[in-house]
Formats: sequence, C-alpha cells, structure tokens
Amino acid sequence: MFDQYQVDGLFDEMFVAPGHPRPHYSAVASRLKVLGSSAFNKRVRMADVTFRNQGITFTVYNDKRGVEKIFPFDLMPRIIPANEWDLIERGLVQRITALNLFCQDIYRDQRILRENIVPPELIYGAKSFRREMFHVNVPKNIYIHICGTDLVRDKNGAYFVLEDNGRTPSGVSYVLENRAVMKRVFPTLFGAYRVRAIEDYPYNLLQCLKHLAPTKSDDPAIAVLTPGTYNSAYFEHSFLARQMGVELVEGRDLIVDNAFVYMRTTAGLRRVDVIYRRVDDDFLDPLCFRGDSALGVAGLMNAYRCGNVALVNAPGTGVADDKAIYPFVPDMIKFYLGQEAILPNVPTYICARESDRKYVLENLDKLVVKSTNESGGYGMLMGHQAAQKERDEFAELIREDPRNYIAQPVVELSQHPSFIDDRFEGRRIDLRPYILYGEKVIVMPGGLTRVALRKGSLVVNSSQGGGSKDTWVLEEEEPGEEKLPITSGQLPVADGSAKPIAAR
Amino acid sequence: MSQIPFPTVPKFSASQAARPMMARDADAMFWMSRYVERAEHVARLLLVNSNLLIDVGDLAPKLLQQQWQSVLTIMRTEPATTGEGPARDLGPRIAQYMTFDGDNANSLLTCLSRARENARGIRENISAEMWEAINTLYWSIRSDDAPARFEESPDDFYRQVMTGSMLFQGLTDHTLAHDQRWLFTQLAKYLERIDVTCRVIETKFSILQSAGGQMEAALRNIQWMAVLRSCCSIEAYRRHYLGEMDPLRVASFLILERSFPRSVRYAVDMAHEATAAIRNETGTLSIDPAERVLGRLNAQLEYAEPSEILKEGVPAYVQKIQSEIADAGLAVQKRYFLY
Repeated sequence: MFDQYQVDGLFDEMFVAPGHPRPHYSAVASRLKVLGSSAFNKRVRMADVTFRNQGITFTVYNDKRGVEKIFPFDLMPRIIPANEWDLIERGLVQRITALNLFCQDIYRDQRILRENIVPPELIYGAKSFRREMFHVNVPKNIYIHICGTDLVRDKNGAYFVLEDNGRTPSGVSYVLENRAVMKRVFPTLFGAYRVRAIEDYPYNLLQCLKHLAPTKSDDPAIAVLTPGTYNSAYFEHSFLARQMGVELVEGRDLIVDNAFVYMRTTAGLRRVDVIYRRVDDDFLDPLCFRGDSALGVAGLMNAYRCGNVALVNAPGTGVADDKAIYPFVPDMIKFYLGQEAILPNVPTYICARESDRKYVLENLDKLVVKSTNESGGYGMLMGHQAAQKERDEFAELIREDPRNYIAQPVVELSQHPSFIDDRFEGRRIDLRPYILYGEKVIVMPGGLTRVALRKGSLVVNSSQGGGSKDTWVLEEEEPGEEKLPITSGQLPVADGSAKPIAAR
Repeated sequence: MSQIPFPTVPKFSASQAARPMMARDADAMFWMSRYVERAEHVARLLLVNSNLLIDVGDLAPKLLQQQWQSVLTIMRTEPATTGEGPARDLGPRIAQYMTFDGDNANSLLTCLSRARENARGIRENISAEMWEAINTLYWSIRSDDAPARFEESPDDFYRQVMTGSMLFQGLTDHTLAHDQRWLFTQLAKYLERIDVTCRVIETKFSILQSAGGQMEAALRNIQWMAVLRSCCSIEAYRRHYLGEMDPLRVASFLILERSFPRSVRYAVDMAHEATAAIRNETGTLSIDPAERVLGRLNAQLEYAEPSEILKEGVPAYVQKIQSEIADAGLAVQKRYFLY
C-alpha cells in the first residue's frame, strides 16, 4: 500500500523517508500493511454509507449536482504526539487571550491605536469593525468565545498560524462525527494508541454558554440561531443544538419585546437568555445592520445592549480576524500580555501599505493573495499556479482597493498519506483546532485536519474540494502504568442481598 | 480515576416542568410523522394491487383499469398525468408514477422526501435513531440503484418502505420522551391513518358495489380480502369473523372495531387523546376545536351500530368522517403552528 509512496522533498507527517515511518506512526503503518488495500477499501465504503445514512453533509453553493454533499472523509488518521500538542495548546491559549483583550480595547479605550501598535486606518477601514459595539457592556467581557485557528506546517515541520476565525468558525461537528465513524469502522486501530477524547466538546460549549446567562437561573434558555436548512453549515448547527440539548431557532422563531428576546412556542412566548448565533453580524438585526436581512431578529442588538441577552460570539469580533489585522497579532501578544508569540505567524504583506503593495505587485507569481474579509477559499489567488491573466486581474483588484488584500509567500504545506485509488499518496493538510473561552480557556485536543484531495493542491477548504481526517492527539506516555485487573469485587453480590436476574 | 462527588442535596426536582416546544418544530414534527404514515399506505396500496392482479390472472381490461384507477382515486391523484400508452402496461406505468415521480405530490418519493426534509429541520428534536431510520429510508428510494432494485422485485421494494416506516414509528415510541413532541407525531400519524383508511373504504366500496352481481363469488372474496390487506387488517379480521367475507362486516370492522390499531375508531380515539394531552402540556384550559371535533367523532363511533352505516351508505358515512378529520387538522395548525 505504501510501495510507491513519495515524500517529494516536503514535510511528511508520517514518513521521515519512504519506508521509514516516524515513531508515533509505526503502529498504524504495520497494522495497515497487514490489513491490505481491499480490506481498507471495504472500510472506506462502510464509512461512506455511515456518513450518508446519518446525513452528515454540507451544502455547496452554485453546484448543480445536488445541494447536499458528504464531506469526503479520508480514513487514514493524522497523529499528533503529546509534546507537539503541548506547544500548540499553549500557543492557542495565548492567542485567544490576546485577541479578546484586543477586542475589549478596540471597542473601548483603543490604547493599542493611541500607542501606534496598530494603525488606526486599518481598524476604521475594516468592514468588520462595528461602531455599534462601541462602549457596549459585553457579558463577562468576553468577545470571542469560540475560535477556530488554522495552523499549517512548513517544509521543516514548524507550526505556523495561517489565520484566526473569530466570527463563527465551523467544522467542529465533522471533528466529532469523524471520530465517531472512525470508532465504528476502525476500532482495531485505536488499540495501539492512547488517543485523547474529544467527546466533551459539546458539554464544554454548553458550560461556556451557560456562563453568560444574564439571569442567575440554573436553567437558562439557550438557543442556537441558524440561517436555516439551506445554509452550508446547517448540519453543524443542528448537530450542536442536539448535542447540547438546546433549541435550534431561526430568526422568524424569535421576537423582541421591550428589549427582551422571546421564542415562539406552542404555549406562547418564552424568554431566551443566551444565543449561540451562527448568523453573520450583517444579518443579525435589520434595525442595526443590513436592513434587508430576513435571517435576523429586529431589535436583537437593543436587547443585547441592555444586557438582556448574550450573543456568542459577540458582534464585531471580525475586526480581530481580519486578514489585514492578522500580521499584528504577535505585537498584540507583546502589548497586552508582555509575551513573545508561541506560535509564529506566516509573513504577511499588507497591500494597504505602499511599500508592501509595490513588492506584492512585482512578485505576484511567488505569492498567495487573499481578500481580507472572505473565507472558505473564496477571493484568493495562488500566484505561482495561476495564469498570467488571473494575476493581471488580481493586480487590478489590488490597485483598486488595496485595503481589501494581503499577500503571503507560498507555504509548502506538510503532506500526509491519503487513500486514493487503492493506494496511499501524499496530500497537503492543515489543522483547525477549536478553542473555547468561558470561565477558563479550553482547547479541544485535536481539531479538524483538512486535506487538499486534488493532487498538488494547496487549498484545503471543503468548498474547494477538500476532505477531512480524524485527528489524534496522543496522551503523554506514563511509564510503569499498571494494567487494571477485571474483578467483580465491587458488585453487591457478596452478602446475598442482591436479587437474582429473573429467568424461566 | 477520581470519584465524582455526589451532592447530598439535589439541586433539581424529579418533576421538572416540561420545556415548551417551538411552534415551527411542532409543525415539522407533525408533518414528518404524517408523511411517513402516508408513504407506508401508498407502498401498501401498490403492493396489494400488484399482488391482486397476479391472483386474479387475466382480468378484463375494464376491471384492470378500474383497479389501478382506484389507487389514483384513493390518493386523490389526477389520472391524466400518467400519460398515454397501451392498456396492458397501465399497471407498471401507474406504479412507476406513484413510486418515483417527483412531480406527483403523493408519490412515495415525494412523501419520503418531505418527511425527511421536515425531519432534517428538527434533528435536535428527534432521536439520532429516528433520524438515521428516516434518512436511510429516504436514501433507499432516492439512491441511484433504487430503480434497478424496484425492477428486480417491486414486492421487496414496497416491503422495505413499509418496514422502514414501521421501524421509524417504533423508534419514535421508544427513543423519544412521550412529551409534546411525541404527541404531535401521534396525532399526525392517526389523522393520516383515518384519512387514508376512509378513502380506501370509500373508493373500494363504490367500485365493488357498482360492479353488483356481475362478479363471481370467488373473485369477489379476493377483492374484499384486498381491501382488508390495503388496510393491513386481513389477519385481525379473519380472527374476528372466522374468515367470513361480507361487505358490511368488512366495513364495520374497519370503521368501528375498538381494539384494532388500524381501524378508524381506534385511530380517532388515539388522535383525540393526543389533542387532549397536548392541551394539557401547553397549559391551555379551553378545549380547542380539534379536540372538540375528534371528541364528538369518537363518541359517535363508540355508540354507532353497523345498521346506521348501512342506512347512510358506506361511502357517504366515511366521507363525513373525512371532512371532520380535515377540520381537525386545520384546527391543530391554527392553534399550535401559526406563529
């Protein structure tokens, strides 16, 4: 299965060199060798049927072949050893802390602007900067409760932050479902490892939401707000509501009366305390943001400003994950926390700056250009792979609206074996861990490993033909650990008081 | 491993008040359940009809046409839409139209798509088991190999749909709390059952009675058995009347039998109970129109005599029930779903 496997001078997650797996992959490698490709294929089909029957799908826009698609699942797991994860975890905690301090500052005192760490024109020119949030008392002073930060590894295997997603990061449902399917079709593979559990994510998310309830009630009313069944991430919205046991609502289910939010039930109106909204800022409240939005709730922002409802994430957090602000995150970490960034950024050219823009326009064939406010792999130019015509078009776009673009050198992402046509081939991957900021910061051990399933492609987004893998973070090795014996000593049978099981 | 501390004074009560239900969710719950029940009836009608035609062999073309026509009449579907063609492939054409045609509002495909689409909108309200059952059922008719499986054995194909529906209903009863959400599924299921059963009785009685004395006794018996089969009632009926085939007995069994879950009387009782329980759960004091309609109908059937049905005429009797059921359905929508 690995006979023709090529490392191609990239950083390969599994192999040091062809035929030589890294220590934490050796158990998987030897098990797969025994298994063979036809048995592996059978499991791939089992997984596909499971995904289809359970309706684990996403929606692709502008695709005539049917709107609902299965997110391609690559059965070969990605494994991260404990020591690597430790670094990632510390780096992510540091980052979300700094990003939250940044939001607090930007929407209040703006110290970071006054001290010229971040240029004010970048903030005021950001589409995602919400003046409506200025001096609003945000519940527990947390803006970014849920963050999905994209990490990549370069040719040397070093981890970099590619971008932060501090608005409404998606994908966590696939992480949990991938794990569940993996356990179902490949239970034997888990035997050789101690993989850290991720199943408590919905519980942690619920605690994070409960923490924000404006009333002191034990049983606050919490709802997930979705744009509806036609949204690409609808599966996830419904999944999270189900896993947390809370209501899934659409804008039309909610109503604001006298600055309180209510949902319409079969028994009349009922108050809502916390809303995990998966609707963008723009569509949240037609009275405050886009007036033509039918997805939101009229008056919601007023209720929020009165402190009668909590919104997660807070409106306006887009200013922290704007791609033109991203280059300043290491400076933020230094400014607010007095620390060096644990996870480095990818070098970034800000087209709004004249010197950077000049360099970008002269070197388009070596750079990746990204629109500062788009996500999902839209509005992007891979300079080294693009045709001259596309590059010219992008040059024109940059000249027209420089604030809207940044550029980065091409990162040669690390590759990982993927099962393609009966054998393994290397495909580029990234990693999106999920960080929750509630009473404390919790990083889910693992995250969404996305795979660029097209050969040679560097774009991993699901909307651009990407797939995903189960991601295993390993437990710390504990030497001399005892095996637990199986006993029935704790069952209350000794004194004969337990009733025997009825039988006939 | 550390022990989880057990609180000495529980912070919650065992009899916590039921959580209210979103009006839109109740709406979707109702229609999900109703479409599953409808799909099961359509599958059974088509299955019984195909088998019936095998049993009676070479029927006269007119009778053949009548039989297939009755499926369309029962499902209130326009016959013209099945297209032109020779009489002998009328059966396959109607079967195809009632199974796979996405433009036909009552085809199996449409029923199951709508059931699943409603379920998809309320996945957080139903159990994972229910969702997987309904999604699998949907894919069994929607997948690329479905037409081939149908060609190979329509019998197996329809049985799979019926079993899928029953599995879904069983899971609904045993994986969902019997609160408001469940009550709406029950109400919908029984309203649909009453409705289809009444239409089967109405249509078949009209056809068989108009045929009058022209039909041979053997053929006639097979026809009455097919009516019972269409309502999933043949075995229960046989036990009850020791196999005696008689139109009035068939009608009174299907309409008045109190203990059989496929009879109109039983379903009305259940639907009535569900409306009363929903009123109780939503804390409403006044009886809503749906409960009133169903309660009256329940009392009427409780005290009805077979002779009354005969006097009024079977088709007319069940037509009245249908219009009352329609009123009840509208009243439920108005009271609980319109927001």
